[in-house]
Amino acid sequence: MPRPQTKEITFTIDGREVTAPENIMLVDGAKHGDVEIPVFCYEPKLGAPVGACRMCLVEIEGIPKLQTACSTPIKDGMVVHTQTDRVHEAQRAVVEFLLINHPLDCPVCDKGGECPLQDITYGWGAGTSRFIEPKRHFKKPLELSPLVAIDRERCILCYRCVRFSQEISEDYQLILLERGAASFVGTFDGRPYVAPFSGNITELCPVGALTPSTYRFRARPWDIEQGGTVCTLCPSQCNVSLTVRDEKVLRVLARDNDGVDDGWLCDKGRFAFQHAHSEERITQPLVREGVALLPASWEKAYAAAAAALKKAGPKAAAIAADETTNEEAFLLQRLFREELGSGNLATPGAALPIEVTRALADPALQARVEDLEFADTVLLLDCDPLDDASILDLRLRKGIRRRGVKLAVASAHPTALDDSAKVVLRYAPGGGEAFLVALDAALSGDEGNLGGGASAAGARAGDVRALRDLLDGDVVVVFGERLLRSESVANALLNIVSRLGMRGRAGAGLLCLPSTTNGRGLAEAGFAPGHGPGYQPLEQTGRGLGDIADGLADGDLSVLYLLHADPLRSLGDRARWERALGAPTTTVIAHESVMTEAVREYADVVFPAEAYPEKEGTIVHPDGRVQRLRQSISRSGDVRATWQVIVEVAGRAGLDLGVLAGPMASHQLFGAVPFYAGLTLDTIGPQGTRWVEGQQFDIPEWTPVKLSVPDAAPAATNGSLRLGTFRTLWASKEVDVSPALAFARPDPVVEMSPVDAERIGIGHGDEVELGSNGTKFQGRAVVRAAIPAGSVFVAEGVGELALTEALVEVRALTSVGAAPVDGDAGQPATDAAAGEPTEVGTAADQTGADTDTHPAEDASGEPRGDTR
Amino acid sequence: MQLLFDDIDRAGLNTLAVYEEKGGYEQLRRALSMSPEEVLSELQASGLRGRGGAGFAMGKKASFLPHGDMDKYVVCNADESEPGTFKDRELMQKNPHLLIEGLAIASYAVGATRSFIYIRGEYDYVADILDAALAEAKTARHIGPTMGDEGYGLELWVHRGAGAYICGEETALLDSLEGKRGNPRLKPPFPAVQGLYQGPTLINNVETLMNAPIIMRMGGAEYAKIGTETSTGTKVVSVSGCVQRPGNYEIVLGTPTREIIYDLAGGPGEGRSIKFFFPGGSSSPVLPGTDENLDLPYDFDSLAKAGSMLGSGAIIVVDDTVPTIDVALKTAKFYKHESCGKCTPCREGTNWTVKMLERIDSGMGTPMDLDIMSSVCDQIIGNCLCVLGDAMAMPISSMIKHFRTEFEAHMEARRAEAGLGPDGALSGNDVTEDRGGPYALTGTRTS
Repeated sequence: MPRPQTKEITFTIDGREVTAPENIMLVDGAKHGDVEIPVFCYEPKLGAPVGACRMCLVEIEGIPKLQTACSTPIKDGMVVHTQTDRVHEAQRAVVEFLLINHPLDCPVCDKGGECPLQDITYGWGAGTSRFIEPKRHFKKPLELSPLVAIDRERCILCYRCVRFSQEISEDYQLILLERGAASFVGTFDGRPYVAPFSGNITELCPVGALTPSTYRFRARPWDIEQGGTVCTLCPSQCNVSLTVRDEKVLRVLARDNDGVDDGWLCDKGRFAFQHAHSEERITQPLVREGVALLPASWEKAYAAAAAALKKAGPKAAAIAADETTNEEAFLLQRLFREELGSGNLATPGAALPIEVTRALADPALQARVEDLEFADTVLLLDCDPLDDASILDLRLRKGIRRRGVKLAVASAHPTALDDSAKVVLRYAPGGGEAFLVALDAALSGDEGNLGGGASAAGARAGDVRALRDLLDGDVVVVFGERLLRSESVANALLNIVSRLGMRGRAGAGLLCLPSTTNGRGLAEAGFAPGHGPGYQPLEQTGRGLGDIADGLADGDLSVLYLLHADPLRSLGDRARWERALGAPTTTVIAHESVMTEAVREYADVVFPAEAYPEKEGTIVHPDGRVQRLRQSISRSGDVRATWQVIVEVAGRAGLDLGVLAGPMASHQLFGAVPFYAGLTLDTIGPQGTRWVEGQQFDIPEWTPVKLSVPDAAPAATNGSLRLGTFRTLWASKEVDVSPALAFARPDPVVEMSPVDAERIGIGHGDEVELGSNGTKFQGRAVVRAAIPAGSVFVAEGVGELALTEALVEVRALTSVGAAPVDGDAGQPATDAAAGEPTEVGTAADQTGADTDTHPAEDASGEPRGDTR
Repeated sequence: MQLLFDDIDRAGLNTLAVYEEKGGYEQLRRALSMSPEEVLSELQASGLRGRGGAGFAMGKKASFLPHGDMDKYVVCNADESEPGTFKDRELMQKNPHLLIEGLAIASYAVGATRSFIYIRGEYDYVADILDAALAEAKTARHIGPTMGDEGYGLELWVHRGAGAYICGEETALLDSLEGKRGNPRLKPPFPAVQGLYQGPTLINNVETLMNAPIIMRMGGAEYAKIGTETSTGTKVVSVSGCVQRPGNYEIVLGTPTREIIYDLAGGPGEGRSIKFFFPGGSSSPVLPGTDENLDLPYDFDSLAKAGSMLGSGAIIVVDDTVPTIDVALKTAKFYKHESCGKCTPCREGTNWTVKMLERIDSGMGTPMDLDIMSSVCDQIIGNCLCVLGDAMAMPISSMIKHFRTEFEAHMEARRAEAGLGPDGALSGNDVTEDRGGPYALTGTRTS
């Protein structure tokens, strides 16, 4: 889809000739001439202007009435006046009108000092009010949700929050209730506004009406400073500005970067900052003595780790995940490869042969985040952006709503974007490869493989054809790294890319959502078994994730070095990792910021790791943007920088890494990765740099290879159902230790279709047990109409999930819920949080103890005053 | 001259049989045999101006719709909610087929294939009549997927609103019709370009559309000869208030106002005189009952020249027994209640004005309040998203302008009654006891 073209025009504002792009709104155009026009309701991020607050009235020659500058596009030759008596009078009147019902409680208001209403009143108001009648009153403040407090008396009814809910996050929960001067913002029936992006309204609010509950009365603007960095809680890597008071993070604000996040944050990113100051933080080194993990000096911990590594040599293995920076990964792989002679370096992502990895990482194939907004079609493959890289969910909604992007979804588990998709194709859990084979066949006209692949995937050939028909023009394929289980899957994907002619096509491309925050950066820094820094070939490859687990269990490997990785929670196959970690020969060295089960039970040496606000270094966004983490607060307790710890351990193990400061590590990395050539911390800058934009890989264009239809996913039988897993945004250690997000912590659930639930006799909310081969998993049944019959789904990283078989037996333990009925009121907390308001659901008791924190009962917000 | 009211009280006119006997649906068939452009040019030639309030030329508005093959709509605004206006009710109740025929002609002229009659919820029984008439028209294939030889088809729905004044504002009506909260939209884009479901949309009042078959029958040029040069045709005027024979009267535009109020509606009661009147519904600036004003020709331009407007054509007469402040307070309260709350000046301004008027009425006002009120009204007029705010500000502002001395006298009298001295000081003993109104307003309410 072509990007809008801009043409420069000249117009006159307050007697000055100003040049600006044609058709931008006058409010923005005026800025090109250094003229500020005050606004309340106008916010370009929210889409088309509404012209509700009337603050931006200006005089335009040739138009008798005053016009709202927020909704008037500038034209060549337009003559605008913002400083006439008429304009001043109208602006003063609007300020006076807005303050009629505003309590003017600025001295106790959290917004005081950073409040647009305050600023505009000083700048454009009359300074006095002629209003002497009683103001309207509301109960205040109320919980709009567990995260947001609402003070309706301060509200100036600018509609920003409501527009966000209706048109950006599309959760459709916030509405204006009542009419005229009695209007107030609320939700249907006073229910809590629980949605994955709800916190953004606190930043949109131009007054102190919506404030984050975590920031209320914590600081005033003159107490705080802002530190810009990047959130590392998921692969979206949103740019954030941390509000810091006395070395503590008190608030997370979006730091607009259109190339990354469009200025929005998810509630995890906005509220899980609390993990940095949690009681659960590990703040000093720990060394296991006997069975107990005891605090130790840094010297002792360094020595213990170095000794274990030296002894293990090539029998050492390392796993990096989550907030690991490129520099940390790069230094650790140097230690492993150069000193220990071990290439056993794994991440939660895929380990594929180097040719395939390089083919997928080809700069000519990489889509940008903005392409999601301008593509003709976006295909989501085995991923749900909401859970895999949450902020992309909003970007896709924007593209679909404002630019008519067509969305196709192909996944096993239902996604939050299904309702916005033109085609939704559901295949059986594990049927991803077969689906890709079918799609490739559909594109190449191979009817045999199309039928065979579709049938093996548990999908209909007709649906595959319908999906194929959408793949026209600029196509962006967004896929979850989890899809790349084997080389044959990657081949199928590359075939499709080749058949769609995506290589080198601007506006089209691949966007891989990695399994861990910096998945792309780890691979580029050479933290992989199959390639070195910059995807350079190795003489000898190391073990992948599964082989590491088996090697440890069998005693072939003896040291496991965990760089922010939690094998028991986020690497799947828990039983296998329990065997690996629990093997008598295994020594575990871990860098971790909060206490996890793996650390508590199995770690022998624990280095306290920084929370992301304490970190410096670089990470790479899934679209190839190298971004910079900057330390915003001092490190808690005895915590030392992870790069420093690695350097110290390496030194004691016999390798001088030659790094004395963080930037030196970055410098080494940029020198070692060929395509980072020329990069410096300065050139990365506040918005990051996409290295893929000036680089080319010297690789031949992919020629489609012959694919064979994989074995069909096992079919559900009467006694057992297919097991699939899905990721949830909320399953993370940071959420677990953030008190504000306690209500969002996911409980173990078993999602199943109404058909299966009815057949087995399970009601929504019942406790159920999944079992195979003697391994069991218990959870609460969530009956969803969107789940295809024959499959059950459990969330990764929630509960002790050790099931590995494709088929599981399901049985009810207790029966607490009603029969699964469509359209019943109520939502499980996790579902509501995941923004799926259309699912079936019963069980008012599902939120359990959480309901206590919900303000449902007193959020009705009846005005008390005399307004009626 | 009776065009719309021709035979209006004939029994059974609301049925298809009687309507067809009178030549009903012949004009629609004739229109279908012409090209849409020809029909449109007839409408344009008639000079018919919108009867809903704004008085915009109907044919011109219809010509703004883009040509070409796209989803276009015609919406009939039957949300007649302006206080004092009740002409559409009688017209729809007694002659529903004329509206359906007119709507179909307009739809054909602009190339719309889906049309709606948006009727206010309170007109439930009228909506039933329309539904019944529409069912008859569909059965008789006057309305439906195949209406003419050229294969033109029209789907028509009667949609009931939920009873909000703001939904009579054309863009709020569209929002409401789409199932949203009825709030006005920002213009431009105007509905003719981007209206219902983002498609080009023609919105017209009931009476306007009902004139379409008449224009087709007479020919646009012939119709234009009725009335004045710029206000062609006849107009159904709703006369109410202090008159002896309130009701709907069809007049030729340009008829002297005095004739309407006195000759048709019987004038005010014995021994009373007209203090002022709203010439075009409760949102029009009032005109004092002077000879000069009563002699005004009742047409769009003459009333505009006199500082008011023809609006929806509803004359509300106020005689000398009615205190102006009562009328002002009632009017302001109505608009405060009906303000949608989307834009600031209207939401806060109507609210503020009511509070001031209540205070004045309770005896706590000072002449300065009148200045503040005028200035508040001035700041509402022209600065809002739609004209609802203006609809309150214009009459209130005109009442203060024309009857300032009466307001001041009223204040003095109420202050004396409330036991307040001329300087506002209390002359009574206990300010909170038994004094109700005035103190309740300034005291703090905690309940």
